[in-house]
Amino acid sequence: MTEMIVEGSRINYYEILELGTSAAQHEITKAYDRARRTYDGDNPEIYTIFSEKEARDLLKLIEEAYSVLGNKTLRTIYDQRLLGKSSEGLDLSYDSILTASRQNFPEPKAKFDKVSYRIDEGLEAEIQTRTEWMGSDLKKIREYKNLSIEKMSEKTKVNVFYLAAVEADDRMKLPAPVFVRGYVIQIAKALGLNEKTVADSYMKAFKANAG
Amino acid sequence: MELIKSQRPQPTKDPRLWVITSGKGGVGKTFIASSLALTISKLGHSVVLVDLDLSGANVHTALGLEPSHLSIRNFYEGQKTLQEIVIPTPYPHLSYVQGFWDSWDSSSASADIVAKLLPELRHLKADFVLVDLGAGASESHLCLMDNADERFLVTTPEPTSIEKAYRFIEGLMCYKLKLDSQPDAYNSFIKKLREYRQKIVDRPFSIRKYIRESDGLRIDHFESLSTHPVRLIMNCSRSQTHADLGYSMRSVCNKYYDVSLDYLGAIEYDNAVWQSVRNMAPFLVSQPFTPLAGQFLGICKQLIDPEELRAVV
Repeated sequence: MTEMIVEGSRINYYEILELGTSAAQHEITKAYDRARRTYDGDNPEIYTIFSEKEARDLLKLIEEAYSVLGNKTLRTIYDQRLLGKSSEGLDLSYDSILTASRQNFPEPKAKFDKVSYRIDEGLEAEIQTRTEWMGSDLKKIREYKNLSIEKMSEKTKVNVFYLAAVEADDRMKLPAPVFVRGYVIQIAKALGLNEKTVADSYMKAFKANAG
Repeated sequence: MELIKSQRPQPTKDPRLWVITSGKGGVGKTFIASSLALTISKLGHSVVLVDLDLSGANVHTALGLEPSHLSIRNFYEGQKTLQEIVIPTPYPHLSYVQGFWDSWDSSSASADIVAKLLPELRHLKADFVLVDLGAGASESHLCLMDNADERFLVTTPEPTSIEKAYRFIEGLMCYKLKLDSQPDAYNSFIKKLREYRQKIVDRPFSIRKYIRESDGLRIDHFESLSTHPVRLIMNCSRSQTHADLGYSMRSVCNKYYDVSLDYLGAIEYDNAVWQSVRNMAPFLVSQPFTPLAGQFLGICKQLIDPEELRAVV
């Protein structure tokens, strides 16, 4: 039965779940639940009609149909191919839909691995070895890595005002230490530093000043 | 002006014909038929309930009435017209035609009776004519079903009953296809269907595709089963799982026979039903405010006036 779809697309996923193409998401889930219950296990309503193998094959199709129609992105691609004007001959197979979804919506790339600054060997070595971190050090690394304070705010989701205060070691403008520690950790992460070392040393100085 | 007039739907004086049957006997067909009739009459429409269960008529018992001296026999033997043997009941808007309740050789007569009855059923003075048919897919039953406005198939959650319901659907499909088809084409179709059942045809096999592609079979007859589907009622449901069986049956019909089935819903099992038949009082009359009465009301409204139901929701 699985070949049906691959071969001629004579049965579409909506037909498998016995739905109209305009079915709402909750209707799809309901239809899937019912279909699974029907073809899963030896039910009195199927055993005289379908063999065990046929039921298993149907169940496989039902799972496949739901994994596409139950997913907003995949369903959109599938609908475009199934219902679009130039839908003749478009590949409706599961694999092809999945491939298309990866092309349309690529996996998010790791954000910070792109090097957009000139590498300074001396500074890099210092980053590796430094154990005492102050606001000014964080500012120096940020500028070295070519990040504006606004960009930093975008990455860390920390307000520019607080970022500036952290870099200036201005504890009057900063909230309680527990929050400040959170900011420092986010900053260290964004700069690719060892967040524990940075946060521990920064907070030590921060509390000492407060004392 | 003349043209506009003729296009307007004529005020139909002819009653709507509803037929209630089942694949297996003893699933509560007569209970369903009499309850539907009572419910429709409560909605203010006039109803005649006709007892055509030739294997042993008992609509009068379900309605809690004594058997009358008038029965279909008087009609069949030509003494009376069908309208003349309609018997009033104590319930407003509801009357009935009593079946044979004396001994009768039913097998030889049923086909004749249906042929004779059909035109007169259509001209009874009522808004609705409900026919309580016997069980099974005999030719006369199928003929009557084919001519009805609505057809109800009653089943229970038991495997035996479900299996026979499928056989009934299959019977109706074959009956439909036999009409106006070339005998050769029909015979090949039956042969193919048998192979399909024995799982020796090449898969995937689609009945719809087969009919469309073979000369001498009428696809419109086949499609009419889907555009005007049989209504399924799951009686004696004791759980949600039972109630959901109806959806499963619908799905199986779709996938195996390429035929639609409309699942109207489940009627809950209720001991009080059995009690009320014992007491010769229709359940919906003796206990009108039960969930069961609500289930019948829902079914009738859904079929008679879906707009109104939507407005309530």
